[in-house]
Amino acid sequence: MPLFSFVIRRLLQMIPTVIFILVVTFVLVRMLPGDPASAMLGDRARDADVNRINHELGLDQPLIVQFFYFAERVVTGDLGNSIGLKVSVASLIADRLPVTLMLTVMSAVIALVLSVPLAFVAAMKREKLADSVIRGTFQVGLSMPVFYVGIILLTVFAAQWKLFPVGGYGTTLPDKLYHLFLPALTLALSFAAVLMRNLRASIINVMNAEYVDFAIAKGLRSRVIMIKHILRNALISTVTLFGLQIGTLFGGAVITETVFAVPGAGRLLIDSIYGRDYPVLQGLTISLAVLVSLTFLVTDILQAWLDPRIAR
Amino acid sequence: MKNLITAALAATLLLGTSLSASALERGGTLTYGRYADSLFLDPVLNDANVDIWILSNLYDTLLLPTDDGKGVQPGLASEYKMSADNTSVILTLRDGIKFSDGSPITPADVAWSLKRASKKDNGIWGFMIESIDDVTTEGDKTVTIKLKHPDPAILAALTVFNTGIMPQKAFEASAGATEAEKAKSFGEHPVGSGAFVLKSWDRGSSLKLVRNEYYWGKGEDGKALPYLDGIDFELIPDDATRILKLNSGELDGAELIPYSRVAELKSAANLDMQLFPSTRVQYLTMNVRPQVGGKDNPLANPKVRQAMNYAINKPAIIQIVTHGVGTQQTSYMSTATPLHTGDKPLYPYDIAKAKALMKEAGFEKGFSTSILVLAGNQDQIGISTAVQQMWSQLGIKLDLQQVDNPTLTKQYRDGTFLMRNAAWTDDIADPSEITSYFVNSKTIEALHSGWKSEEADALFEASQKEMDPKKRAEQYAKMQEIYNSTGPTVPLFETPYPVALNKRVHGFLQIPLGNNIFAKTWKDK
Repeated sequence: MPLFSFVIRRLLQMIPTVIFILVVTFVLVRMLPGDPASAMLGDRARDADVNRINHELGLDQPLIVQFFYFAERVVTGDLGNSIGLKVSVASLIADRLPVTLMLTVMSAVIALVLSVPLAFVAAMKREKLADSVIRGTFQVGLSMPVFYVGIILLTVFAAQWKLFPVGGYGTTLPDKLYHLFLPALTLALSFAAVLMRNLRASIINVMNAEYVDFAIAKGLRSRVIMIKHILRNALISTVTLFGLQIGTLFGGAVITETVFAVPGAGRLLIDSIYGRDYPVLQGLTISLAVLVSLTFLVTDILQAWLDPRIAR
Repeated sequence: MKNLITAALAATLLLGTSLSASALERGGTLTYGRYADSLFLDPVLNDANVDIWILSNLYDTLLLPTDDGKGVQPGLASEYKMSADNTSVILTLRDGIKFSDGSPITPADVAWSLKRASKKDNGIWGFMIESIDDVTTEGDKTVTIKLKHPDPAILAALTVFNTGIMPQKAFEASAGATEAEKAKSFGEHPVGSGAFVLKSWDRGSSLKLVRNEYYWGKGEDGKALPYLDGIDFELIPDDATRILKLNSGELDGAELIPYSRVAELKSAANLDMQLFPSTRVQYLTMNVRPQVGGKDNPLANPKVRQAMNYAINKPAIIQIVTHGVGTQQTSYMSTATPLHTGDKPLYPYDIAKAKALMKEAGFEKGFSTSILVLAGNQDQIGISTAVQQMWSQLGIKLDLQQVDNPTLTKQYRDGTFLMRNAAWTDDIADPSEITSYFVNSKTIEALHSGWKSEEADALFEASQKEMDPKKRAEQYAKMQEIYNSTGPTVPLFETPYPVALNKRVHGFLQIPLGNNIFAKTWKDK
């Protein structure tokens, strides 16, 4: 029951967060220099055309009027139409966001699969060769820029060995997963490095705790000690980190989607910034904010489950 | 003996002809990598190169640009002539032309399309056909375009994408209350008159075209064009990925290959690295207003501008930025633009002359100024860094300001910039478009520079109505002379369009105006 009221509390806390993001996004996008019509028409824009288009878009109205108009529509679930692409923002987001979500989830899974067992090995073999090799390898992954890792993976696994397609996005679900593997791996490498380092340190910390000594003294089986006492406690800080890193993962998706020609929300976000496509920019930011907030919520729930004291 | 030789020659020729005919293969789908997705497939209301460079494949025009981009040839109209007083164009439509849904292309469709395109405030391209007053039809083949005044560029304007012929009934039957809404829904499933028709459009990923069964063009084999069954445009924004995909054979062609990769791809065994002549010029624009942001602006002095021009080693910049692919400019307009004059590179590198001019202008010790650079654009960063070093010899301290495109455009339009990097490509086989933007102060204040020449303005206005080709050429020669010697730009170089194709692809053409022509493209199976 405490967990249930905890979830409700957290959900209610999300409302002011989203409203705050709504206002900040609206103001921030309008503080960027330039306007949609000039961005769209480019160098050859004539004053009359720019003024006409800005008028058609209602951008010549006072900011406060624009905001209430925008807020009114958002409340009714209408995110407006893209200025550049001339289609509804909701349909664009419905089209693109699942792609980014799939990419993010895939990379999170790959990162977990890589980091958890290796963190254990590294922690158990602390300061030995295996530990150094694992940490050294992940350090390389962490220090290389995402776009560079992407190009290397594409060149080796796709262009030379032809194990994967060179970018793009498939049509059926298995095909999509196949296309997304390399971009997800690219994103996962630096993510896994952060997780692995944190988890390794936590495990080492927990292994030195008195309750672990006590569990050993009780004569519990090492598997039980490992999973129930060490892993469960070591995971608390890693889960926090995992939640925080999901936001970073969305950020990384912007670059990865460009390199791998994946039609996701990250690329749409960049295009909408360069195009000063206010409705798309606002719609995407709000959607991503809700998603990240939900991720934090899941993280909190996981933490509460791992350590019931948190939910109190 | 003579007969024998003739017979042998004839046989060889016949064999040759049959060989070349059999070499041509029909069918198949071409996959082509583009750097950016299309935005809006309406020829009148679109506003970006990503659309206009492929629109001609979907909507045919009455006339077509020639392959060298300098002249016109028959399109949907098989015949065209100007009236004796040059105030009308009389066009005869081809026999039996049809839209992609099989309905006939009628003079009424043509009249409606042209009136829509020339309607004031309907899109941003109307200025090219602002001379159109009315369009009338006669019988089932004749269309007469009545002009407000004689317009020497009207035939060239009838080749431009915004005059593409659309089906009136299908457009008006499209969903939506306003014209913009109808254009939006029509643009999603267009019925066209071009060689191809839209099959599907997965925004941000791919755009697929299939052949228009009813296209009027005939191929070398006497059968209907296009040769291909379809084209799949794949959106691959990253240059390196586009090239990898091409190398791996997943793409048949890719556009906008970075100059730094041209030499490498030229030597690739499976690729045909093409450099199509273009009207693209790369230049720097200078703000010549006496004061900018409340400070005195040395760029207002023509001698300073000349000095800065002489101080730039253009061959070096061409080598650094284009890896030798570019050529020096001989006028503000490209050599591929009609009525271009000049056979010598502008402002050959002469540092002594540059220093003397700076001294004459009273800036012997130089000054500080700045240039806007599009953030992340390697060409502009390369150019700006090079000129920064070159101008330091004149004591000029150049501050490089990297900004994104809308920020750059804002400062440009507000006239608050000092210098900026820029490039230009013509859309029409006539010098009036580039000249209206670069020279004529009434369009956008000569590239928002604040530069103005009463003489050049008067010449431009006169040239817009001058029907005598010789006189018009003289007017353009004079305008180029004025602008090239006193204008607000630093002309840097012309560059071709770099397109890499797989060797199995033949007959693809990108004309100097940028149009990608796929109608005569075919590929080996």
